[in-house]
Amino acid sequence: MRLKGKIAIVTGGAQGIGRAVALGMGREGAKVVVADLQAEKAQSVANELKALGAQASAVEVNVANESSVKQMAKSTFERFGRADILVNVAGIYFPKASVVELSEEDWDRTIDINVGSNFLCCREFVPSMRAQKSGRIISLASGIGHYGMRQFSHYAASKAAVMGFVKALAREVGPDGITVNAICPGSANTSMPRQHRTEEEVMGRLRSTPLPHILEPEDIAGPILFLASDAAAYITGQSYNINSGSYMF
Amino acid sequence: MKQVAFIIGGGGGIGGAVAQRMAAAGISVVIADYDGAAAERVKSEITKAGGQAGALAIDVTVAREVKAVVRDVEKRHGRIDILANIAGGSAYTKRIEEFTWAQWKEVMDANLKGTFLMCREVAPIMQRQKSGRIINTASNYGVTGSALRTPYAAAKAGIITFTKSLALELAPDNVLANTVAPGPTDTPRVMQKESAEARQQRWWPNIPLGRTAVPQDLAEMYYFLTTPESAAITGQTFHVNGGVVMP
Repeated sequence: MRLKGKIAIVTGGAQGIGRAVALGMGREGAKVVVADLQAEKAQSVANELKALGAQASAVEVNVANESSVKQMAKSTFERFGRADILVNVAGIYFPKASVVELSEEDWDRTIDINVGSNFLCCREFVPSMRAQKSGRIISLASGIGHYGMRQFSHYAASKAAVMGFVKALAREVGPDGITVNAICPGSANTSMPRQHRTEEEVMGRLRSTPLPHILEPEDIAGPILFLASDAAAYITGQSYNINSGSYMF
Repeated sequence: MKQVAFIIGGGGGIGGAVAQRMAAAGISVVIADYDGAAAERVKSEITKAGGQAGALAIDVTVAREVKAVVRDVEKRHGRIDILANIAGGSAYTKRIEEFTWAQWKEVMDANLKGTFLMCREVAPIMQRQKSGRIINTASNYGVTGSALRTPYAAAKAGIITFTKSLALELAPDNVLANTVAPGPTDTPRVMQKESAEARQQRWWPNIPLGRTAVPQDLAEMYYFLTTPESAAITGQTFHVNGGVVMP
């Protein structure tokens, strides 16, 4: 068990990649806070973790809301007393709209949820990581943050911003023994791409990667567990692509 | 069945640590190095610790030698699951007008050509197996460039893009190819040239994590790229450098 006794917070932990990360952390011995806007689903992941023998709690959070994030941090410290690993998974990939048709509200919402959340969550957990001179922060970016995507300017900008944020924070907190990295998944077999694509389109895309390997949430969780472990102590400020070879940066 | 890893440059600082890490995980390692005695030393450390290892000498810049050695390793072990190309480096830091053509070729061959020749011989074996992991070694200089190291930076940049192309070519056969890009690492070779104090003064203030790497920091990444957890990763470059470069 690589994460025995560590306290891990996983935002967006109720489904998809976040759920796979939360369950993986639990299997590796971490105590997990499953934080999500969808409280019931978060609770059900926490129950799955308990069934695996891991300590877990579910917290309802809106990661783009300052007081809600503060509340999440407060309940984490009350329950577990510390925070060792923060995984920022919560995000949205909607709506599909060209730049000229995109509303200001949808722009703001995407930027706030996808990258503002990184700021708000890190701001709450960094001070305690600093005090203990150790910590791991891993944020979900996206290959789209590198290569862009038509009708997703808001999403592309938000994910590129995550990478910039990660690099800046890595420089800021490195001297305190905290590492900060990003993972850039390709299109994965989750509900997210199904919001604007048919099942056939989604599976077609998943099967069209160079490597004949459909990208599952567990494929993204594995590298995140590695980055959270002692083995990755010397890695910071990086954005690693996990995408069955669909994009090489 | 035990996995077989072929570790080129396995007698050196990073290569030796990679061999140790993989052997500790139960992988049978074949340690190849230009310096055959160095390969033997790493082998005996591993076997003493209960691991399985073989050692041989190789000059990766000589095509027929690479061909013969790979044929021999395949014959002896029946398979090659992992190829880690870690041989390389450069003895030169000098201005471009001072580089001779022979020196340029020496650096390009030791790094880029050696990687090509090894991959050319091992890839077909992995394609027949329908599985394999190739891990090549670049450097942060392959992305940032470095004054006084023009051939080395060019060779390392070449390795990054060579590996992407190789990854695309081998992906249909479930053979994965990735690059590890170390930053400043305290290997015996560099420590011979520079004292620990001088390295600390030169590097540490510029590294967000406040220290240079030890070979074990790199070994963990090479090992990760052999595990089921990295089954969806190919054609990528993994910088392990304490944050000194964030591409």
